[in-house]
Amino acid sequence: MVALPDWMALAPALSLALASLVLLLADSVDPDTTNTGLLAGISVLGSLLSFGFAGWFITAGTGMADSTGVALFNNQLVVDQMALFFMAIVGSVTTLVVLASYDYVAEHSYQAEFFVLVLLSATGMSLLSAANSLATAFVALELVSLPSYALVAFLKENKGSVEAGLKYFLIGAVSSAVLAYGISLVYAATGVLRFDGVATAISSGTVQTIVDGSVQAQAGDPAVPMAILGVGILMIIGGVAFKTASVPFHFWAPEAYEGAPAPISAFLSSASKAAGFVLAFRAFAVAFPIGDLLAAGGAINWVMAFQILAIATMFIGNFAAATQETVKRMLAYSSVGHAGYVLIGLAAVSGSGEGLSLSMSAGMSHLLVYGFMNTGAFLFIALAEYWGVGRRFEDYNGLGREAPVACAAMTVFLFSLAGLPIGGGFFSKFYLFQATLNVSAWSLAAALIINSALSLFYYSRVVKAMWIEEPTGSRTIESYPMGLYTAVVGAALVTVLLLPGFNRVSEIAFQAAQLL
Amino acid sequence: MIPAETYLLLSAAIFCIGLFGILTRRNALIFLMSVELMLNAANINLVAFSLQHGNLTGQVFSLFTMALAAAEVAIGIGIVLVLYRNFTDVDVTKATTMRW
Repeated sequence: MVALPDWMALAPALSLALASLVLLLADSVDPDTTNTGLLAGISVLGSLLSFGFAGWFITAGTGMADSTGVALFNNQLVVDQMALFFMAIVGSVTTLVVLASYDYVAEHSYQAEFFVLVLLSATGMSLLSAANSLATAFVALELVSLPSYALVAFLKENKGSVEAGLKYFLIGAVSSAVLAYGISLVYAATGVLRFDGVATAISSGTVQTIVDGSVQAQAGDPAVPMAILGVGILMIIGGVAFKTASVPFHFWAPEAYEGAPAPISAFLSSASKAAGFVLAFRAFAVAFPIGDLLAAGGAINWVMAFQILAIATMFIGNFAAATQETVKRMLAYSSVGHAGYVLIGLAAVSGSGEGLSLSMSAGMSHLLVYGFMNTGAFLFIALAEYWGVGRRFEDYNGLGREAPVACAAMTVFLFSLAGLPIGGGFFSKFYLFQATLNVSAWSLAAALIINSALSLFYYSRVVKAMWIEEPTGSRTIESYPMGLYTAVVGAALVTVLLLPGFNRVSEIAFQAAQLL
Repeated sequence: MIPAETYLLLSAAIFCIGLFGILTRRNALIFLMSVELMLNAANINLVAFSLQHGNLTGQVFSLFTMALAAAEVAIGIGIVLVLYRNFTDVDVTKATTMRW
């Protein structure tokens, strides 16, 4: 077997970047093109390639030979199983989103720019999965954020979209400044930005420096000021909370998701959230190992911080979702609630080793399943917007009679989100539950169960409206858009297939977390 | 050499001034300036401790931060522009078509 060159390990990110460049080229050749088929085709091809590469590398065991994975650029980027796992999530969500956008942007101008921004943002997410230093993580995070601000405000004649873009941008700018300040404090305390260097500084208690790519203690052995390090870590948690739409930086999410074009809501709530979590998983597992932190004099107990955040996020997200009047806003709050479930992956950590891998792999598996079911649900909203169905629950009355296939798919998404055994969501929540029991975190387990039960109530409101209620008023559905239908039905199929296939997913996730 | 604590105090003060501006001002442009202050507080830390630690990591990273701040402002000004077109104002509290 021929060994591929090392840089090929980044192929999932590179194919997304390449596709965006090809799109820019197509746009400069014909700036006013309305050939949506070509533009969407290039984007789908690029994101499918990205997904394909990631899947191929996972099955081929790339980065498993060495405990550090494939290290690139002096260890600034590391492609290991975890990076590939998240690259696969990003690739699949991006494929679904650009496929659905084919119909959604057909009437808009600046179509090429739309697809370019989506792909650039996806490139950032892919790179973020591999970031192994606070510097590359920050740059990749901004590459995710900047295009998505523009995408949320894409409908620039639409007040809701502009307002959503403004709020997303304002809170995003503040949180990236907080994150940058946190990174600068961690650098001040430890002298390095690379994750392995930070970990060495914490475990040895002395400031480190990097000489010729390897971490060394600095001359004179100055001690790490633990208080400054603690404040820095706290600020990094803030930056992560924004990106994953968790409490206390969650309040942009309902606004941004409601106002944004629905495919973009799908993209942000699934892929962007996953990207935020991969940064959190890698940074907190590799750079700030909890055992060493506590041994070094308790700079900060981030497991405790994440426990509080997880419980608060679950309750706030789900209770707010239960009181909403519009379907899209309900889904937006439910996605905040799901961020709370995934936070269990960081909150149910006990020491390192087995306990760490179990809880993190539970979070990772939930993100993968969530990537399909949540994207699908938002794309169904895109379909409803395309038909001109209203935003409230009542407007969905009787939709099941006119569009049975799409409504059946939506039913699968919603019940899977709630955790019924109709899709992969059942097992992934069960796995999270198991992770909480493993460390006897009863409050987390209770919050998970209470909120799942509550979520069934508000999800089934939509299902009831679609199938049971009588249609009100006259509504005629004239066309069945191909791209949106393919994406919605495809996502539903994968959600159902993840029920028998979940075992394989959790195995891969567990292995990936173990190698970290 | 000036002790490291001085730089930390300076950067913390600038960071807090920026945060104060964000929480109290309603003009979107002043909001952008406040964010710049917060980012530059981070830069002060990075550059000061780069000297303190005797490696260049912090200085190089502060160059990245500046470039990213510029890109962020470019996007921000674009959004402020469409805000003005839609709401005929750059007051961030005027845009309230949605409520939570």
